[in-house]
Amino acid sequence: MKLGHLGISAMAALVATVTATATLAQNKGLENPRSTSFHETLEGKKVVFLPLSMGFDLTEGWAARMRAQADRLNYDFQIRDPAWSTDAGTRALQSLIGEAPDLIVAHNPDIQSYARLLAQAQAKGIKVVQINLESNTQTDSYVGADWTEIGKQAAEAVVERCGEGKGSSNKVAIDTGVPTAASDVFQLDGIYKVLDQHPEIEVVSQQATEYNPEKARSIMETVLQQHPDLCGAIGIWDNQDTGTASAIEQAGKGDQVFLVTSGGGNRVGCENVENGMFDLYISYNVPLQGDILNAEIARLLLSETKAGENKALYFNPLTQITKDNVNQRNCWTLDEIR
Amino acid sequence: MAAKDELLALRYRLIPDRLLGELLTKSWIDNVIPALALAVTVIIMTILIPGYLSAGNMADLGRQVSEMGLIALAMTVVILSGGIDLSVGSMFALCVLTALTCMNVAGLPIGVSLAATLAAGLLCGLLNGVLIGYLRLRAFITTLVTLVIFRALYDIIFPRLASAIVGSFPTSALWDLIGFGDFFGVPVSFLIFAVIAIVLHIGLSRLRPGWRLRAVGGARRSAYNAGINVKFTVCMAYVVSGLLTATAAFLFSARLGSTGADTGVGLEITVLTAVVLGGVSLGGGRGSVGNAIIGTVLVLILSNSLIRLSMPGSVNQLILGLVLVAAVLFDRKWIKNRSKILSKVYVSPTYLPLRDRPDPGDDDYLAVNDKLGGVELIGLGAVEGPEDVILDRDGNLYTGTRHGNIVRFFGPDFKRHEVFARIGGHPLGLAFSPDGDLLTCVGGMGVYRVTPQGVVEKVTDETNRSLLSIIDDSRLRLPDDLDIAPDGRVFFSEATIRYDMSEWAVDALEGRGNGRLICYNPHTGTTRTVLRNLIFPNGITMCRDGQSLLFAETWACRISRYWFDGPSKGRVEIFMDNLPGYPDNINRGSNGAYWVALLGMRTKTFDLAMRKPAFRRRMAKRIASDEWMFPNINRGCVLQVSEAGELMDSYWDKAGENHPSITSTCEHRGWLYLGGVSNNRIGRVRIENSVPDWTIHQDYWGER
Amino acid sequence: MSGSIVPEKSSQNFPAGETIEVSTAKANRDGAWLFANLAKSQEGVVLMLAVLAFFGFSLFLPSFLSPGNLLALVRSVSILGILALGMAIVVIGRGIDVSMIATMVVSVAWAFVLTRGGLDLELALVVGGLFALATGMAIGILIAFGEVPPIFATLAAGSIIYGLGRTFFFKLEMQNIPPGYEWFSFFGRAQIFGIPVTVVTFGVLCVVVHLILSRTRFGWLTYAMGNNPEASRITGVPVRPMIVAHYAVSAIVAYGAGLILASSTSAINARLFNSTMIYDILLVVVLGGIGLSGGHGKVRNVILGTIFVGILLNGMTILNIDYTVQNLVKGVVLLLAIVIDSLINPRDEQTSQQGDL
Repeated sequence: MKLGHLGISAMAALVATVTATATLAQNKGLENPRSTSFHETLEGKKVVFLPLSMGFDLTEGWAARMRAQADRLNYDFQIRDPAWSTDAGTRALQSLIGEAPDLIVAHNPDIQSYARLLAQAQAKGIKVVQINLESNTQTDSYVGADWTEIGKQAAEAVVERCGEGKGSSNKVAIDTGVPTAASDVFQLDGIYKVLDQHPEIEVVSQQATEYNPEKARSIMETVLQQHPDLCGAIGIWDNQDTGTASAIEQAGKGDQVFLVTSGGGNRVGCENVENGMFDLYISYNVPLQGDILNAEIARLLLSETKAGENKALYFNPLTQITKDNVNQRNCWTLDEIR
Repeated sequence: MAAKDELLALRYRLIPDRLLGELLTKSWIDNVIPALALAVTVIIMTILIPGYLSAGNMADLGRQVSEMGLIALAMTVVILSGGIDLSVGSMFALCVLTALTCMNVAGLPIGVSLAATLAAGLLCGLLNGVLIGYLRLRAFITTLVTLVIFRALYDIIFPRLASAIVGSFPTSALWDLIGFGDFFGVPVSFLIFAVIAIVLHIGLSRLRPGWRLRAVGGARRSAYNAGINVKFTVCMAYVVSGLLTATAAFLFSARLGSTGADTGVGLEITVLTAVVLGGVSLGGGRGSVGNAIIGTVLVLILSNSLIRLSMPGSVNQLILGLVLVAAVLFDRKWIKNRSKILSKVYVSPTYLPLRDRPDPGDDDYLAVNDKLGGVELIGLGAVEGPEDVILDRDGNLYTGTRHGNIVRFFGPDFKRHEVFARIGGHPLGLAFSPDGDLLTCVGGMGVYRVTPQGVVEKVTDETNRSLLSIIDDSRLRLPDDLDIAPDGRVFFSEATIRYDMSEWAVDALEGRGNGRLICYNPHTGTTRTVLRNLIFPNGITMCRDGQSLLFAETWACRISRYWFDGPSKGRVEIFMDNLPGYPDNINRGSNGAYWVALLGMRTKTFDLAMRKPAFRRRMAKRIASDEWMFPNINRGCVLQVSEAGELMDSYWDKAGENHPSITSTCEHRGWLYLGGVSNNRIGRVRIENSVPDWTIHQDYWGER
Repeated sequence: MSGSIVPEKSSQNFPAGETIEVSTAKANRDGAWLFANLAKSQEGVVLMLAVLAFFGFSLFLPSFLSPGNLLALVRSVSILGILALGMAIVVIGRGIDVSMIATMVVSVAWAFVLTRGGLDLELALVVGGLFALATGMAIGILIAFGEVPPIFATLAAGSIIYGLGRTFFFKLEMQNIPPGYEWFSFFGRAQIFGIPVTVVTFGVLCVVVHLILSRTRFGWLTYAMGNNPEASRITGVPVRPMIVAHYAVSAIVAYGAGLILASSTSAINARLFNSTMIYDILLVVVLGGIGLSGGHGKVRNVILGTIFVGILLNGMTILNIDYTVQNLVKGVVLLLAIVIDSLINPRDEQTSQQGDL
């Protein structure tokens, strides 16, 4: 009965359509059912971003991108800002598990602190994307830089400059951030993979700055006095390395010490390349990461699979910025990507 | 007019004005504001955040409270001792590192790890304790330095162990149980915290070490002079702080299994905020476990909720800062003004109508005479404040003094005297038991017994607590007079539960039934309140039927009879009403009569004032207490009253030189002995028409 | 720190200034006497330690005594020294200001943000300065009129100022000097007669603060207040306006230090607020011999503390000691200094003050 009714309506519709098409001879296109379901599925979903802290280029950049997509696709996007406190972060994550949003975007302070909680979240059916800093737990997706690769590139650049037969000393300093963060753990691995092949390179200092430029400045100041003939320095993050760079500038060794750092490609970082404070700036391009992140969010929200069932990861491309190629295309400001 | 008075009476009966003042006297009032703030915060968050009160959320909160709460307790202990411990954050980090190194790196059993963690905390705390307690360094700067040192140690060791800690998981069921486990939804770590908190609360509030700690924090010099080992006590405060912090670190390690470079950074400030918010006063002596917990929960709820409401971290910081300022500001103003407010609002007068009274000069019996003009003075200058006087079988005279002694004058001439017993408080009413013990009501202490040998024993100092009173009325504040029933029960009056001995006269301004009649039963050893809401019950004496007693209500100017036994048990009946003055003690006399001492005579102005409670309230609020209007207690007299309550005679001191104010009488072998609470003498005067060898003993207990 | 009424009787630092001045005059006559007097105060102890360290490093570290190194030594601690000068004024007046770092970073960062928003840097710097002044006065009012203990008032104020700044003035914690104002960053790196501007500024400020403290009514009243706030109030010292002035001065000093810091590192980072820098300032002040109970201490105490920290850090740097280990040494040395002080001048149970942290 119902089927018959349906059949009749379908017939009627078909006839009507054909007639209409024929008579008006005007193409209005086909409705794409996938577009409708895409929008309908995403609408009303809840995504929560748990950064290390808001207020610096990376997290503000990602958040701007994610918010733009959330506004476009009508899902709920929230930020829980623990303001650099690992403790507040774990508390926020714990309460998120109780709250059960559809997806958490986690930015790990180190590879261990959130690991257990992220696994718990997935067990409760919350999908988890980790951004740029991984934890020990592999989750539904990871988007971000390949730190090992950054480490290799940085080390190669330094070797290029301070290696054997370059007429300078072979002394290199490494400024790390937080020794348990993914960026440090994996980047150091990358650095030493290269340096181990160049035994002439002497690492004279390797100290943690806790992402704090003032601390980085003091450390570099100290190192420069201990080793006035320092040749190269590898910093782990542009924000902290402004401190490193200014210590070098202050000592008047801007030309002597080759400083490599990495970061999100913010305009501020680029300015530092322009004015010669950074010699090489490996950018992992925050707007690009934000876009990939958005794609992953949409994919996971649409996907039928359970949280933790499939694990994906994507290392985004890196850009080496030097004085020669600093331009608008490589750098971004927060206002531009909003 | 009458209707207006009725309304006034009703208003004062129904509206309990006195409660505000009484609330302010309670020590827990300090905790009420933080607790209210907590309640308001919870309510706001429940409205703002859906599902806020869910079990899961509460369990999360419980876990967090247990870690931060322990550190808040550590801080509280130190602040109570008059110090401050800024090194808790760094100490916490070191202890976490110890715990994780033991568990993750060395793979030690959990018990050993716990011991090692506690040892680390103990060492850190001991360092602070020795420096501040024994070397007398300043707490603030010292813990600031140890903060730097502990943090530096952590920064040196942590990077070397970081990858080893991160790289392995311990496999211990107990470890996981502490970290994630729960009993019926209550996290294990919270249970551990609760046990520690309860133990600490008992230790701080009920045991000697806690009292010493508060004494040292509250008044260091006095504590030192009182013989408390100040150095040791201060040192132990820091050691306890170290141990509590280590326990918190252990729980934290079990929960997260990891530590970061920023573990414990800034923790001291969060905890300090929590503790101050909860109402622990910086500067020592004031604060409790409850304060610390309230503050911790408040800070955690605030910061968690702000994160949860997607507030930027900076707003979080802004709000916490504002809250801290508000809390400290409030604390300061509260401490400064609480006693001021209290003194303004505590006196709470009520409506008390007294009928007009004809001029005593027109009365045959009451007309002023000079029968006391020629009293013999006993012990002039040797006694101060002989409120009650009594004679024993051998004719020796006893009285209490303001100095806290009972003085005995040897008969028959009473020239010689000695301190019979040292009580410690001002003995008021006196009565002899059949076996010769002297029972006395001691202001501010209770009822005491003195044996003929002069040994002092406590009879009772508490009664049953009434359910709804805010003031703790189980303790006796102002027991006034007592008498002993034939079966040995002791009935005594407590004049007021709202004022102490030193300010008893202020009770007159209230005119409310603040007093009560209490019975101590020696057979069961229990003390029970038998009549409440009496208006300054004062003198008590047994009637000769052995089933009833007379009691005077001073400000109400009346004497009532109360049956405590027999067929009309429980009945209260007016015996004499509308007396011309304020009755004090009542005593038996010869010929079946009673002696009533009038403390002072009524005046028309004060009678009017008693009908105008608002006037008295204004007076108490606006002018200094030495300018308040008080009832006349400068000039009284003694009345002789018959068994039926009829006036038989009166004794006045016309010139007002020897005994203008009388609070008690005692008849003995034809003499009347007179005491007065503000006198420096005892008087005696011959009584006309008395039974020459009548003694009070005989009348009560018969011949020996 | 606390509003204790009892005058300080214990001699934490009291005889320090006088004895040493006298003793230097007679130094030639009696060396042992000088030594005995030096050992009587914390200042003397730290001075001896500093001299000892200086000679020790000079003897054993060949590069230590070079003029370049000595300049670097002073320069590395001069910002700390400037901040400590501001702190010293507050501490002498029996206060403490732990909000200096917050005031410093927020006011400077805000000035930069305003400039990036189109304002002239000069004008923006004035706005930043006014903001710093306003925060200092607000804190002072809270302490003077609200009677909030300084430690809490400034602790909370730090967090409020920082929260305010991050929420309303700027989003990013890292603020570079706006492009186009090279003169500003030049200022921080320039040298006058071969001496870095930072050091010159520190020196000039030392002289100014010294003159204020020793030659003006403001300075005398500050000592009076610190010695005995209650007595000075009764004798007519305008205690409350003075307190407001103290915190206003420390805020302005913090702002100035922030400008120098920003121009020498070409950026200001608001995260400095979360660092332990404020503790370092306190360490310098206390190490130099200015007791936290107020009323005592001079500019030379600040200089001594600053130089001593400088000598230590520089020597250890040349000795190739890790940054983290240096912190440890710094802490231990300070601890030793106060322990020695307490052994020399033990506090008496009868004269110690209630609530004196």
